[in-house]
Amino acid sequence: MMQSADAMKGRLVIKAVRNVRKGLEEDEAGRGMYRPGIKLDLQRSRLITESYRQTEGRPMVLRRALALEHILTNMDIYIQDWEKIVGNAASSPSGLYFGIDMNWRSVMRVVNSKEGRDLLDDDGREELAGLADYWKGRSMSDIHQEVFSGEILKYWKLEGTFLWTHWAELGIPDYEKVFRVGLKGIIEQAGDKLAELDREVPRDYAAKKEFLQAVVIALKSVVAFSNRYARKAREMAIKAGEPADRQRLTTIADICSRVPENPPQTLHEALQSFFILHVLRYLEYSTVGIGVRFDKVFGPFYERDLQQQRITRDEALELLQLLWVKFHELGLIYSPTVTSIYGGAASLQAVTIGGVDELGRDVTNDMTYLVLDTAGSMQSLEPSIALRYHDRTPDSLLDKAVDLVSTGIGYPSFFNDKALLPMLGAWGVPASDARDYAVTGCVYMEIPGKNIARRVIGGISLPKCLWWALHQGMNPLNNEQWGAPTPDPRTFATLNDVIDAYLEQVRYFYHRINTIEQVSGELYEHYLPRPYYSALLEGCIDRARESRAWAYPSQVHPMCIMLGTTNVADSIAAIKKVVFDGKKLTMEDLIDALDRDFAGCDDVRRMLLNAPKYGNDDDYADDIAAEIHHRTQEVVASFTNRWGCRCRGDGSALSATYAAGAVCPATPDGRKSGESFADATLSPSQGRDTNGPTAVLKSASKIDTVRTYNHLLNQKFLPSMFEQGMRDRFLAYLRTWGDLGIAHIQFNVVERATLVDAQQHPEKYPDLIVRVAGYSAYFVDLSRGLQNSIISRTEQSF
Amino acid sequence: MKQGQQVHQDTPATGFIYNIQRFCIHDGPGIRTTVFFKGCPLRCAWCANPESRELKPQLMIRPTRCMRCGRCVDICPNHALYYDQDGTVRIRWSLCDQCHACVGACTSGALEVIGEAMGVPRIIHEVEKDRLFYRNSGGGVTISGGEPLFQPDFLLELLAALRLQGMHTALDTCGYCEADLLSLVLPEVDLFLFDVKHLDACKHREFTGADNRCILENLRYVAAGARTWVRVPVIPGFNDSPEDIGAIADFAREIGAEKVSLLPYHEGGLAKHAQIGSAACSLHIDVPEESAMSSLCAAVETRGITVTLRG
Repeated sequence: MMQSADAMKGRLVIKAVRNVRKGLEEDEAGRGMYRPGIKLDLQRSRLITESYRQTEGRPMVLRRALALEHILTNMDIYIQDWEKIVGNAASSPSGLYFGIDMNWRSVMRVVNSKEGRDLLDDDGREELAGLADYWKGRSMSDIHQEVFSGEILKYWKLEGTFLWTHWAELGIPDYEKVFRVGLKGIIEQAGDKLAELDREVPRDYAAKKEFLQAVVIALKSVVAFSNRYARKAREMAIKAGEPADRQRLTTIADICSRVPENPPQTLHEALQSFFILHVLRYLEYSTVGIGVRFDKVFGPFYERDLQQQRITRDEALELLQLLWVKFHELGLIYSPTVTSIYGGAASLQAVTIGGVDELGRDVTNDMTYLVLDTAGSMQSLEPSIALRYHDRTPDSLLDKAVDLVSTGIGYPSFFNDKALLPMLGAWGVPASDARDYAVTGCVYMEIPGKNIARRVIGGISLPKCLWWALHQGMNPLNNEQWGAPTPDPRTFATLNDVIDAYLEQVRYFYHRINTIEQVSGELYEHYLPRPYYSALLEGCIDRARESRAWAYPSQVHPMCIMLGTTNVADSIAAIKKVVFDGKKLTMEDLIDALDRDFAGCDDVRRMLLNAPKYGNDDDYADDIAAEIHHRTQEVVASFTNRWGCRCRGDGSALSATYAAGAVCPATPDGRKSGESFADATLSPSQGRDTNGPTAVLKSASKIDTVRTYNHLLNQKFLPSMFEQGMRDRFLAYLRTWGDLGIAHIQFNVVERATLVDAQQHPEKYPDLIVRVAGYSAYFVDLSRGLQNSIISRTEQSF
Repeated sequence: MKQGQQVHQDTPATGFIYNIQRFCIHDGPGIRTTVFFKGCPLRCAWCANPESRELKPQLMIRPTRCMRCGRCVDICPNHALYYDQDGTVRIRWSLCDQCHACVGACTSGALEVIGEAMGVPRIIHEVEKDRLFYRNSGGGVTISGGEPLFQPDFLLELLAALRLQGMHTALDTCGYCEADLLSLVLPEVDLFLFDVKHLDACKHREFTGADNRCILENLRYVAAGARTWVRVPVIPGFNDSPEDIGAIADFAREIGAEKVSLLPYHEGGLAKHAQIGSAACSLHIDVPEESAMSSLCAAVETRGITVTLRG
């Protein structure tokens, strides 16, 4: 019997994290970091600790494989009475994943604080304290603390100009290969390679052998894990009363005993195989935001099932809805410090649809539409849908996507192949690989199956860099020389002097975050090898090298989130207008007003606010914005990562524009101290775009994607834009966005009054979803400040 | 009419424009840019844009934006500006001679000049910016006001330039002008958005200050020679009965208009009267209910002509 979408929606477990920090300050901690009922799951922590105790002294890659095996053999598993796709990274549906091997200190603090007390009971707290004893000096975070010294240690401290983070290491496995040969095929491949090692005995024989042995251990334990589900389902089937239930459980048992070991034969098998592989990514190593080209990977299975009349469209829809519920069960514990960055996020899983295949053909198929129907019926936070747009995207697909946008869910977000394929080309990605890109997390670019050692290394606050440039790198509050000692701004004679000093500060701070990242990359290679994930990537087994020990050669890897570019651009435009062109203020007057946060200088602030702003299709401001974007990226690209690939920025703002704004003093665009930055790299400052949505697109099109990086652009429309008669205009607007070659766009569709009411009466709006950055969130889970930041985005009305 | 002739200019190099608004989606097909001409021969009681009536630049004051710096008070040669009890700047309109010295001194945006003499090239430059959007949506440029026909030479020059650029043009007009002028304009316009307020001559005169006979004749002439949409501002107490609206619909169908658009009255114009020192209409007009608008739409539809709400 089919399950209704409403029943399915009732099963969604909400694991979105709430803000408990605003910048470095506490923010509404009293209401808890998660919704009631969500618990910290200690099983993985317990099991990895047991395993680590037993494997002291052995090669790290083997220790990681054995730990994974120990977890997969002993972690409690469950099958709920409606499930058809099974698996989770936690031992219960309400459990949060916790990577104790990464960082335990902040989690210990959380569970002992008011915002996180409910995550564990007292026994749990005691057990956690015992486990944490073992990890003192052993967790990744401890190792960091110990290895850094001197200047690196100084700049590792949280100050607010940049934030280095070890979160968000993504990468997409080669699902298509696993579906072709099964894990058994990959285990055989590793076995063959081991035999070859014995024949050839290379110089690094031991290291290679250990890695391949680890691969075999890891993959076999995954097969065994799936077989545990098969056994459990069979046991439950025997006890099941209802024939339909017995049938459901027997099917689970059959499927879990075949995949992922063998190539899947049906859509159901492919989805189950995928989900176990997906869950394993989280279990092996803490991460967020894993993606998949859903229609390209699963479309052929669906098509074959339809042809052979093994499945109806409704049955396939039900399977996808059930998968969506499972996506929601993946949640993780965040460190409180990063909750102002990940406000309202759960695990940022992304499903990519549309786009072209390796040969440049449109991939749209029946599965593409099924994904949109699933998303529309579930209205769930996870996964976010990314639609790759190109000139041949069918009108019918765009039309269907706009239906979903009009519900206000915030996705699909649109990615423009016209901008992104040339960008990937410029980054050294071969055309056929580039055409296969998928989105992970917010707006990260990934090439499925390639060893993209890409990490979000953190975020850099560009307005803060400008602020340092206006203060010679010296903090006026404590007279500490923290930034670069650039020239006295009172001596600046031209706008270029301002820009040069700003870029010098960017260089100074980027150098430091990149240095931290270089060392971290080395530590990760030593301490956190991933034999399971490596096995699912092209090239690791052939080379007999773990994925962190080499990299796909491209600039796609090392990225840093660029925060507040628009505010820098608007600030520079205001300085040009008011100081250098208008001569209404001196640099000294300006800096004085900023240092006073405009207290008593309302007229100065008004003058700055009235200067031309990016987002109005006004070349005065837009040309400066383009220059700031392009030249900032040039500075970033002057650095390389440990594989020699040039560094690059990234447009995935998360809610960090809010977090970084909270600790940034007043800026020359008229922004007061603590106010949020513009919400994304291509977005105008909130409320400063007054010429309508076409002007915003024209301004955004002046920022060259190829000279910069993947971007994010938020637009907010009223629901009436999607009514009869207006919808065609929206479609034309979207097509024009495509023609203009802008990298990205996504939409909030909501009345301002609704948001204001929801802020005042959260109990009335438990399910109201808004787009924050590259992810959607429940509005009521956001802190008041972040809510305000979303309310203040310009509503495109007419 | 006669007022129209007063503004014939020897060298129509510039026209008075008070706004160029992009992404207009209620002023004709597709995505459009609307160019608002300043100056209007009618004085409709419900006018939503009172700042558009006079054919000259006008000072507008928005006290809520005032930062109380006082520069304007100091600079005004006629001492028209003063502080009220809160320290907010106010104006004695009788003393203001529209020299606009105060606007240059104001940094807050509280004082602003509405209306600017613009040449055709500048307007073309603005409307060119959204060309791609017009192409993809079947949109173009709408000329509105005020009343565009109130600056006829400039209008003709602008229409010719738009034609040269291959732009789709719509003319939003109240239709109050000499027939000769319309015969010149007609071939240059792709679509007329022709406002009809009332078929009854007395009521029309009472509420707009002008006769409607030439308007209706002009409408008949235009609809015979060009695509025409009839636009009706729905004003409660004036023309919101199903009979009144139905009569307009009958007329529109009879003369061959493509459709009737009903535009419900809104209160957007109320605050602006005080901001430009003009007297607001003493009548209180209610905003029509959505349900009333729906039944008016139905009344139009039963007369066998397409109807749309808001554009």
